[in-house]
Amino acid sequence: MDGIHDLGGKQGYGPIEVDTDETPFHHDWEAREWGLAQSARTPGITIDWWRHCRELIAPEDYLGRPYFDSWAQTDFATYIEAGWMTLEDIGRFDAVGVGAEDDPPPALSLQQVLQEDHSHAFRFDAEIEADPLFAVGQEVITASHGHAGHTRLPQYARGRRGTIQACNGAHVFPDLSASGIEIHQYCYSVMFTADELWAEASGSRDKVFLDLWESYLAGDNE
Amino acid sequence: MSSKFDAGKVAEIHQHLHSHLPSESALRVKALETLLVDRGLVNPQTIDAWVEAYTDQIGPKRGARVVARAWKDAEYKKRLLQDAPAAIDELGYLGKATAHLKVVENTDQVHNLVVCTLCSCYPFSILGVAPAWYKAAAYRSRAVRDPRGVLAEFGVTIDDDIEVRVWDSTAELRYLVLPQCPPGAEDMSEDALTELVSRNSMIGTDRNLVKS
Repeated sequence: MDGIHDLGGKQGYGPIEVDTDETPFHHDWEAREWGLAQSARTPGITIDWWRHCRELIAPEDYLGRPYFDSWAQTDFATYIEAGWMTLEDIGRFDAVGVGAEDDPPPALSLQQVLQEDHSHAFRFDAEIEADPLFAVGQEVITASHGHAGHTRLPQYARGRRGTIQACNGAHVFPDLSASGIEIHQYCYSVMFTADELWAEASGSRDKVFLDLWESYLAGDNE
Repeated sequence: MSSKFDAGKVAEIHQHLHSHLPSESALRVKALETLLVDRGLVNPQTIDAWVEAYTDQIGPKRGARVVARAWKDAEYKKRLLQDAPAAIDELGYLGKATAHLKVVENTDQVHNLVVCTLCSCYPFSILGVAPAWYKAAAYRSRAVRDPRGVLAEFGVTIDDDIEVRVWDSTAELRYLVLPQCPPGAEDMSEDALTELVSRNSMIGTDRNLVKS
């Protein structure tokens, strides 16, 4: 979708708030949200559906609320959509906080959590029967248009000419994974020159690399 | 093929959440945790353990160890550039969001910079939680369009004859920048070298590391 999340190349967001501090959390609620997001996932959820739910946040909230707050809002939305809770529950949460309705799942220790993190090295690739359509070094052109659902071809790289830098294998296709449908499609690292992407970069030696699926690409026969 | 999920419903939920959530971030997250705990869906001690894991155990010190080892051990560096997930797993660091890790190397002629313009993809199990600026609109919008301007704000000046390569993390691949070893530091121990590697240098917003 051409949503507020698709920020590459947009202008007017001001200078970077530069920070070399390596503290992971700056408020207790940020840490709680991080831990929550690792602990509670609705059945059948995919990373792409979760990302799409974050993209669907109202633009003023997406830009105006702190980062981990947008995670919380995304989690609320996925939990409500999955039937884990209702909008009405949120209004009376402090009233239900007096006693647990159900026994909690067993507590995981630090060592168990570290082991779980290691086992969360999820792979998204698979062998497929088809051969890759494009070869390393081949010129390609990206699709000119997006669609209303989730996609990983940013607006700034649409209708642009690039060069296949590497084939990363067949990866889960995000546009369908966001609907809970898993198919694998070749995903390539594609190199774009800065001056192909930006008028003001004329003559620049700089490059931008994106990882793009076969559906986003066509051979450039020009 | 019909969707298992209802995007229209979620868009509507977000409109309600805009006005129905508690007024402050801390209260919103508290509401979420309370509801999940009450329904027996989450154990608060497990949340504590995740917070501890990403505060004390998993963070940029892991990435710094990988970089220092690559500086000291040419064979390790070769493995890291060829198959980064396997190379970081030699140190036990494979984990969340690093199964498709790629390492990109800075040289005298090349500087690498990593961004995620569409969300905030980051190699969690070796760099921990991403810094606030990495997740903010200013960095996400500008890194692909004005990388030299962004770098200048971090105090990094890139000579005209150096090529800047920006990696936009649009898929499940994640990127770790291998910075250059500071001049004169080659003989330091691996342990001492880890202290010289900044988190930002592994994202690409720091370049010229110094021997302290």
